[in-house]
Amino acid sequence: MSATGTCEYQPKDYKSDLKPIWCPGCGDFSVVQGIYRALAAIGRPPHEIAFVSGIGCSSRIPGYTTAYGFNSVHGRALPIAQGIKLANPDLLVLAAGGDGDGFSIGGGHIAHLIRRNMDITYIVMDNQIYGLTKGQLSPTSQKGRTTCTSRYGSLEEPVNPLLYVLAYGAGFVAQASPTDLVGMAAVIEEAIRYPGFAFVNIQSPCVTYGEEEHQIKGLKAISESLAGLGHNPADRLAAMDLAQHYGHKMHLGVFYRNPEPPPTYGDLVKERQTLLSKDALPKERILDLFIKK
Amino acid sequence: MAIRGIDYANLSLKDALDLAILIEDEAQERYEEFATQMDQHRTPEAAKFFRYMVENEAKHGRELSARRVARFGDAPSAVSRTMIYDIEAPDYDAARAFMSARKAMEAALASEVKAHGFFVAALPAIKDAEVRALFEELREEEILHQTLVKAELAKLSPDSQLSDEDFVDEPAPQ
Amino acid sequence: MRKDLVFGMAGSGGDGIVSAGDSLLQAAAAEGYHGVMTKSFGSQIRGGESSCRVRISTTPILNPGGNLDVAVALNWEDFLKFGAELPVSGNTVVIYEAATGIPENQIPLVGVTPLQVIAVPIAAMAKETAGTERAKNTVVLGLIAGWFGIGAVAVMKGIRKKLAKKGEELVNANQRAFDAGRAFAMEHPLKTSMNVAVSDTKGAVKLITDGNDMCAAAAIFAGCQFFGGYPITPSTEIMQFFTDHVWKYGGAVLQAEDEIAGIGAAVGASFAGKKSMTATSGPGLSLKSEMMGLASIAELPLVIVDVQRGGPSTGLPTKTEQSDLFAAAFSAHGDVIRPVLAPTSVADTFRITIEAFNIAEYYQTPVIVLSDQEIASRKETLDPIDTTQFKIINRVQPVGADLLDYKRFKQTENHISPISHPGMLGGTYLASGIEHVESGAPTNSGSVHQRMNDKRTKKFDPLKDRKDLFEVTGNPHAPIAMVAWGSVAGVCREALDMALAEGLNVKLLVPYLLYPVAEGVYNDFFASVQKGLIIDQTHLAQTFKLLRMHVDLPKGVKPLARSGANPFLPSDIVAALHNLLSELQRSHEGNLQPQE
Repeated sequence: MSATGTCEYQPKDYKSDLKPIWCPGCGDFSVVQGIYRALAAIGRPPHEIAFVSGIGCSSRIPGYTTAYGFNSVHGRALPIAQGIKLANPDLLVLAAGGDGDGFSIGGGHIAHLIRRNMDITYIVMDNQIYGLTKGQLSPTSQKGRTTCTSRYGSLEEPVNPLLYVLAYGAGFVAQASPTDLVGMAAVIEEAIRYPGFAFVNIQSPCVTYGEEEHQIKGLKAISESLAGLGHNPADRLAAMDLAQHYGHKMHLGVFYRNPEPPPTYGDLVKERQTLLSKDALPKERILDLFIKK
Repeated sequence: MAIRGIDYANLSLKDALDLAILIEDEAQERYEEFATQMDQHRTPEAAKFFRYMVENEAKHGRELSARRVARFGDAPSAVSRTMIYDIEAPDYDAARAFMSARKAMEAALASEVKAHGFFVAALPAIKDAEVRALFEELREEEILHQTLVKAELAKLSPDSQLSDEDFVDEPAPQ
Repeated sequence: MRKDLVFGMAGSGGDGIVSAGDSLLQAAAAEGYHGVMTKSFGSQIRGGESSCRVRISTTPILNPGGNLDVAVALNWEDFLKFGAELPVSGNTVVIYEAATGIPENQIPLVGVTPLQVIAVPIAAMAKETAGTERAKNTVVLGLIAGWFGIGAVAVMKGIRKKLAKKGEELVNANQRAFDAGRAFAMEHPLKTSMNVAVSDTKGAVKLITDGNDMCAAAAIFAGCQFFGGYPITPSTEIMQFFTDHVWKYGGAVLQAEDEIAGIGAAVGASFAGKKSMTATSGPGLSLKSEMMGLASIAELPLVIVDVQRGGPSTGLPTKTEQSDLFAAAFSAHGDVIRPVLAPTSVADTFRITIEAFNIAEYYQTPVIVLSDQEIASRKETLDPIDTTQFKIINRVQPVGADLLDYKRFKQTENHISPISHPGMLGGTYLASGIEHVESGAPTNSGSVHQRMNDKRTKKFDPLKDRKDLFEVTGNPHAPIAMVAWGSVAGVCREALDMALAEGLNVKLLVPYLLYPVAEGVYNDFFASVQKGLIIDQTHLAQTFKLLRMHVDLPKGVKPLARSGANPFLPSDIVAALHNLLSELQRSHEGNLQPQE
């Protein structure tokens, strides 16, 4: 962290020169703004930040920041992010992607980052559709939805991303939306500050393939602030109860924040390294391990 | 449209001026972004209009900056960009691929209306007389901006009733 | 006196035959012998058939050997399951459990009359001396000490050390079982003495390890600080070694949630500036291939170890094969070169693994180390290695002016661009799987794609001139030649020695670098060649086909290939070389006749 912690950096310091390829009107324009703001509030210099994504429209996002970016392969932002974190626990590591990336092709990873309590903030831009490949059914698409791969309506229930990560025991779970950018920046900031795995689901509409009720106007109509509801973010069961409304209501804010965060994986790794470093044979003598007398 | 961490009741004139400048900055930047988006999507009419708005916002911003310097020199600012969002800047959601000049103007008009609403809403909480006067002036300025946009709208020939979507290519899969 | 003995022992997992092999190898090492031990198992976790081969010699050993000199069968059913892995010949002494009830003249070995067959009441002796039949393996060690003169003192010394913590009674019970075996041997001398000569390096320090542990130790020596992987036989011991040791060197290891996450984390760690590694076997290599494509286009150093087993799919998970050659050379999609290196023994696994890291770091590329089950799990005695002779190469990083206007994928004379990592001020860039311009910014441009493909492939040209990654032995101008790699190379080295001793004019090329194919090296090698064998343990003759893609092989060069778990014996190879010689002579005679 910078010496003073805040105010040394402005949001624009995190904005790169690359021009977004997103469609005009895309919710992700707001998300990247929210990220610039959260990073400015935290004040880490861009070169100490690693921002990893998978594949999808939203996964272009690291390139639009001045951080070290990694636009990797579909569904694998989290494995790469955890390698970065383990290689250098001092870095601020962000991962981002879409709902298909996080809950379909890469759906197996999130549970494991949660149980390891990797100190990584994972932002999912949930638009309930596959935009980059032209509007196919996604894991969060509503049952019955018609798309080019579900001409007669989807036969599947959607994944509930919030309940999913809460059930696995994530220490920080929040939801945001471009309908409230100040709130979005605030929860992203809080997620980054949380010492451990933090998940932010951002309902970010797809203007090209999204359904009418999932555009900004529709989202506003179903949005409700968790703080306004008097929700206590330390109450995990209450959070799970509220999370059940995913898809019908859009609750914004922090669902759950573990009041007593356990040590992060990075902390434990450092501890083990320190503990065992005294047992190291000099590298040039490593083969002595194989001596039989 | 949102604001964070600003206490209108105790807003000083210096901070109010700075806030106004930041609001113009934000709007100017957003119009620039929209113009770039329109360039990328080969929608020159809308891009041209958004650039016109960039100029307007910049001009207003320069005027406000000059007043700020004249009155307060380079005294440090207590407000920052992270405190405001989408005050006069059009919402990201207002842009669309291949939007017509008319749609672009309508988006700008909506954001000027929004900005007007911001000053109207803020005024009752303001106690300082000078700040009040500034906010009233800014409120009126927004009306002026609306007039400017409306004048541009009036210059347009009537739209056909055909939808743009009937002419453009399907999106390209990546 | 014999200079070299090959033991093959089989029983059920409960017979502890592999642990006996371990004790024998360690005792032999303590007595100054060179030794190699390989293990082979059935597919049952416990109690299935197990076997080991232990080869002991007074001179360095090139491979686990051919026909057995000594076969030990604790039961015939298990022994026979190993087929060609435990070949008995007319020169083999066969020792077996008398309790099987099979008379010495009716043992179930078809078409072969062993040198001598001895039924020994192994279980009964164990029960009588140690109070449990479980001590059968110790009785066997006593028999070996008595008949072949190996480990008379060292075996029990080793067992005592191993069991010291478990109490005096257990040690004494083993001692009694061992003594009983030895006494039995003394009372029933072999028809032909097979005692091994005393080693002239008695007392010298020896290392004992297997290919997997050697690979992991070499990686840590080379500076590897991160391992991400997933358990898969027969590579898992590499991850285990890391979990035991890498922390001490400030590194970390992650047993990931799957094969993809394992390599993904390794890619991430490399991006973060650390040397990193993953290890797997065939099925895992397939799962990792998308990430390998990513590491290639993002130009990230990474070492991937593939310990080959019989494939495809689960195939023969506990047996060796070389059939991942195509998968390694052509791993992943797109136009790309990923260097593939192959060790040929436990000893050179050290050098080859270091080389893999050096190449990965220098060329900023994933590198595959193509090991195999035999090398990975066989134990070898080794003379100490002078580690100071190995040079360690690190990736070239941007400095000074490079960082003023940093371009991660800058075109340079050698096509290698200085690489930054998170934390480095001025070095920020976007790493990506999408095609990119020099700065890292994504592009769809065909001309950029062409240029970048050029950069990413031409950078490897100098690698093909690395003659030190090839070994040529035998007569350099020989008309008859062999090419072999991996664990098969060791068999061919011994075959070469035998063939040269028999007066054949022959040579052997062992490539440590399998891909990219170094056309020049092969062209030079084949210049004198009229007949030859490209030998590998694959069904499709993959090595032959890979070489033919790149090199105009002389017409007389043919594949000699067989599926895994059907090992080549040095004598098989020598016989094949004799055939080539006859063909050559016939064609020369033919040349004297008018052509049709």
